[in-house]
Amino acid sequence: MEEQVGIAWHQILNRLTMRRYPDAAVELSSISSQVGMLFRALGGDHGVVIHAGEQILNHSRRNILERLSGNARKVDLAWVDSQALRLPLAIDAFPTQSLNSDLYLWLAALSAIPMPQMHTWFTRNQAATLVVIRRFPGLAANYRRLVGAEILRRGQISKLAPDEARQEQAIRDALREPGSILELPKARKPPHPVLLWLRPEFKAIGNSGPNIPDRPPSTASTSQSDKKRRMAEYTEMPERKGGLLLFRPESIFSWAEYAKIEHEAKENEDEDLAQAADDLDMISITRDHNNIAKKINMTLDLPRADTAQFPLENGKILPEWDFKTHTLKPNQCRVNLVPMTDDEPCVLPIHLKRDQQRLRRQFSALQPMRLRLKAQPDGNDIDIDSYIRHIGHHHGGADTRFYLDQRKRERDLSCLLLADFSLSTEAWVGDEQRVIDVIRDSLFLFSETLSMTQDNFALYGFNSKQRSDVRFHTLKAFNEPYSDAVRGRINSISPAYYTRMGAAIRHTTDILCGQKTRERLLLLLTDGKPNDSDHYEGRYGIEDTRKAIIAARQQGLRPFCVTVDQEANEYLPHIFGKHGFIIIQRPTELPTKLPLLYSLITR
Amino acid sequence: MPVITIVRDAKTSKTIPIYSPADDEITVFELAYRNRLPVLIKGPTGCGKTRFVEYMAVRLGLEMHTVSCHDDLSASDLVGRHLVDATGTYWMDGPLTRAVRHGGICYLDEVVEARKDTTVVLHSLSDNRRILPIDRTGEILEAPPEFMLVVSYNPGYQHLLKGLKPSTRQRFVSLAFGFPDATREIEIVVMEASVDYAIAKHLVRLANALRSTADHDLEEAPGTRLIVDAAKLIAAGCDPQVACRAAIIECLSDDPEITRALMVVVKAIFGS
Repeated sequence: MEEQVGIAWHQILNRLTMRRYPDAAVELSSISSQVGMLFRALGGDHGVVIHAGEQILNHSRRNILERLSGNARKVDLAWVDSQALRLPLAIDAFPTQSLNSDLYLWLAALSAIPMPQMHTWFTRNQAATLVVIRRFPGLAANYRRLVGAEILRRGQISKLAPDEARQEQAIRDALREPGSILELPKARKPPHPVLLWLRPEFKAIGNSGPNIPDRPPSTASTSQSDKKRRMAEYTEMPERKGGLLLFRPESIFSWAEYAKIEHEAKENEDEDLAQAADDLDMISITRDHNNIAKKINMTLDLPRADTAQFPLENGKILPEWDFKTHTLKPNQCRVNLVPMTDDEPCVLPIHLKRDQQRLRRQFSALQPMRLRLKAQPDGNDIDIDSYIRHIGHHHGGADTRFYLDQRKRERDLSCLLLADFSLSTEAWVGDEQRVIDVIRDSLFLFSETLSMTQDNFALYGFNSKQRSDVRFHTLKAFNEPYSDAVRGRINSISPAYYTRMGAAIRHTTDILCGQKTRERLLLLLTDGKPNDSDHYEGRYGIEDTRKAIIAARQQGLRPFCVTVDQEANEYLPHIFGKHGFIIIQRPTELPTKLPLLYSLITR
Repeated sequence: MPVITIVRDAKTSKTIPIYSPADDEITVFELAYRNRLPVLIKGPTGCGKTRFVEYMAVRLGLEMHTVSCHDDLSASDLVGRHLVDATGTYWMDGPLTRAVRHGGICYLDEVVEARKDTTVVLHSLSDNRRILPIDRTGEILEAPPEFMLVVSYNPGYQHLLKGLKPSTRQRFVSLAFGFPDATREIEIVVMEASVDYAIAKHLVRLANALRSTADHDLEEAPGTRLIVDAAKLIAAGCDPQVACRAAIIECLSDDPEITRALMVVVKAIFGS
């Protein structure tokens, strides 16, 4: 009974206070391709990915009902930085779907306009608005409709205290006539959030991540993931050695108190974790040395570490691109060749035999051979049939193609396959296989097929442990025959560490450039974004990889990426170009799809 | 309305195509011609490569032999072949041989599309020998000073296995063409399509917006040709959004999701 009354009370309050229209909601996922296109078309940076931003705390005045119901405690505002354009997960602030989707497009357009730093939040948004409506008359009409709806949404000015009313009036004037108001009058509370504007300045809090050596992941039960991003900071692990709790843990109402407390097991923990993460204003993270029982997978906005980067010496040293300074920093990464171990030679695993047979049949057509072409305009023999036909129809037309020609179908091509052996490939796909197993099977079938077509190929793998240790595994070099020893090496691959893709691609480029064939194909097989345990992540890794790919193209190589990361559309077009990659929807199909894909791109 | 002057060449009374130079490409081309050097023009589709060669042909008073290369184009399609008629076989010159015999510009459009063995016949013509050996007839033709070899290709195409061999590339004086800057492109659109300045300005803004998404969202950026086509439709009374969809957007992608997203950009510029 108590619970029912509670639910009813909550619903009533929600209905009274919600300034939202769930029926007219538009989700970011449904409109993200349009938003992305508009953002880039209007001048937004290509390397910026688009995803749902975290909600931020609303410090403005809320009315008593809103405070009672907990509504409007957090708001969705858009913002952009060098990494990402963050937009609300869904917009339901306006009563119609067209207004809500127009708001997405408007925010994308506004974020695409670069603004000098000297402006305040208030003037910057007005200035950007002016630029957009001047340059894009189509958006100007949408803007006027949105302003009307936004002002309606903001409620009555007369209900506000005098100072807040003055502030609110200034905002409304600035919305109606952008550029007309230069200063926002001060008030005790910050103004009600303006959905049409990018959010006020925000500074990352906390220091950079602690540098603690990695350890193998602990075994935890089912993990959970969602697409929300949450604000986070690094902190030190509070040292607690015993001590006495003077209160009962159940009485802690806030999750934000950072204390090492064991929470009791509850029903439905999955929801709890995500809910708890939502309730936190800021998630503090650090490393602990104990195993955990439950994992949640989420994306955090952490402050970036700016580590001092001393140049490296000894071994094969490669440069790295720093997108912040737009320079190719020399001597940044060391590639260490992992010696070929004497793994036990083996034959093709039994479970791949059937696929091997099928692929061999399909690919027999690609074997180099001589083709006899009939009815050619030229050739080294006469096509008697065609000549007789011509004589018969002598007065009908002048088809004079009566030669037989022989053409040798040759494939002057070398292909280097570079596979990602990072720890992320240990993730499970389906019930029986991990990504690494799929990669292993793919390498097997790929090699079986290419040895059939007699194409020149090599197989390498890579992973990395920060910039001083990019590990490069040779499975099969170009001049090596595909033998049981190679199969043994493929059989023994195992995942470890991270994915410093740029360095691996640069090293591969050097190897492939040594091949004298007309076409040189660099095939990259991966499961996710470039990343490493240092500053090599996010935009940095993506831009470095992009530069490495551009350099490979300039050397005359053809890079192509095959990925099983279902979200690769966010970043791969920027790295490989629109047609330079493919996402395999069902990773378990990769082994059989890869050879077919190869035949398509080398046709 | 802008005034379009149709210029006619005094000697041949041919219409001189309109061409607005971006840089010093006219000088380079003329100097290459005078020094008997072959020219390679590279640039995205619809940026005016063919128009430039046509213009230069008229300007230099040369005949132009154009060959649009395709993936089945063989060496004998260029050089010539024996044909048969009622009286027996006879030799028929190909466009390249014709140009070498009689002088003029031989223009191979999209040369990377041609079969791999085809470009090799160009080698002896494009270095200082300037000869064309014809195996079939046993002739060795020497190119006259009025002969010029011009090839063009589009490096932006993402054909995985198509490129120009370095040994071919390094025989040519190369001119890189890009899209014209906004002011020049507006002039071109106004001139070519006789459309209002305001419309041309909007179209060029649209083109530049779409170009900035190329590589990421589009395979190929829209060329000036598409913009001129859209401008012609608008000048003939078509609604700007309809014209943009038909002449630009649908030409850029077949993916309905991408065309929808591209229309958002059109609407941002032309209004809904």
